Amino acid sequence: MKEVLKLVLVLTAICVIAGLCLALVDKLTTEPIRKAERQDTLDAIKAVLPEYDNEPDRNISEIVVGKQTNVFYVATMRQAYVGTAFAVTSKEGYGGEMKIMVGVTADDGVHAIHVLKQTETPGLGAKIEKPKFKEKFSGAPLSTTIKVKKDGGRIESITGATISSRAVCKAVSEGIDLFVKNKDAILKSDNVQ
Amino acid sequence: MAKSKSLKRERMTFYKELIKGLWKENPIFRLVLGMCPTLAVTTSLENGLGMGMATTFVLICSNIVIAIIRNMIPSKVRIPCFIVVIASFVTIVDLLMNGFAHQLHGQLGIFIPLIVVNCIILGRAEAFASKNSVLMSLADGIGMGIGFTLGLALLGSCREILGEGMLTVWGDLKLLDIPARVENYQALVVMILPPGAFIALGCLLALMNKVESAIAHRQGRTFVPPQNLDCRHCTICKFGD
Repeated sequence: MKEVLKLVLVLTAICVIAGLCLALVDKLTTEPIRKAERQDTLDAIKAVLPEYDNEPDRNISEIVVGKQTNVFYVATMRQAYVGTAFAVTSKEGYGGEMKIMVGVTADDGVHAIHVLKQTETPGLGAKIEKPKFKEKFSGAPLSTTIKVKKDGGRIESITGATISSRAVCKAVSEGIDLFVKNKDAILKSDNVQ
Repeated sequence: MAKSKSLKRERMTFYKELIKGLWKENPIFRLVLGMCPTLAVTTSLENGLGMGMATTFVLICSNIVIAIIRNMIPSKVRIPCFIVVIASFVTIVDLLMNGFAHQLHGQLGIFIPLIVVNCIILGRAEAFASKNSVLMSLADGIGMGIGFTLGLALLGSCREILGEGMLTVWGDLKLLDIPARVENYQALVVMILPPGAFIALGCLLALMNKVESAIAHRQGRTFVPPQNLDCRHCTICKFGD
């Protein structure tokens, strides 16, 4: 009985100390982590949009489709609308979910895309992160669906990774469709002149 | 006189514990511990280095703390105690890195929780830190950590060179870039896929045995490849016996 009590006491003491340390570190890092994550979003937006001078992550509009909430970051320069950034996801890649930030400009074209998260095959599908692939999206008009060349589109797919390339095109196209359909709502809700 | 002699002996042991992780008891190639992160993470030199350094940090911290509290822990609950200490350090590393080295965290984020289940750390806690002084445990942690990091870096380099024809560090500094020089270069992509991990590790282990047998031969000894590895008297696997 005495031994059991000792085991319980020691284990409890160690867990309590560990818990206290963790609580302290958590308290210390909450604010820096929030800041860093906000900076991540801002960096991604900056990478896909032309120059702007507002805070797009505080100038958002949300479109709910089914259960999913899509966030649109609206960027302005001297109160004039310059473009919108939004994240799209695809589960049709070769290695799980991929998440891509897309930026569209005021003159209805894609400005750039930026890969936020992907787990495609290293050396093959993972090349969707390379500028060589991404830059082919820049300048694509919003009016036509973005496809790989094999499917009659403008994007040259990565050798050996057609599935990943197609998944990116499809996700970007779907995001653009949603944006075009809801353009008025997205821009109106943000006092864009 | 006697004091300086014991100090000298202590320094010798410290040095011995420090360097044993590099070759003689290398966690990857000799103890063959921590195979899960070894096989999963080493798709490139950079991943190997990052994982190795994060593991080293946790290993050193947990070795020190466990050596400090080793006499307070009843042996029946030592494994849960070790796990609490290790998991706390991993969480602390995860939080600190996320807050103050956010970019590095972005690259290594998925590997950090893996450190908890890395048996090198639990193995060293059980086999070494729970039986030795704080100073020796520190030496053991540093040595084993560096040995693990070097092993991962070596494996990662081999796979990256064969699988991509490149060797990249810190994101964009290319140490080697075959595709840029050779036209239509086709790399062995299988080397960065999961099977490549087994192939590369097997070849490196065989090479290491070959080197060691050559050294033994030159010294006039016969080389016995390590067969019955007991992970340096670690008893975790035999805990129920």
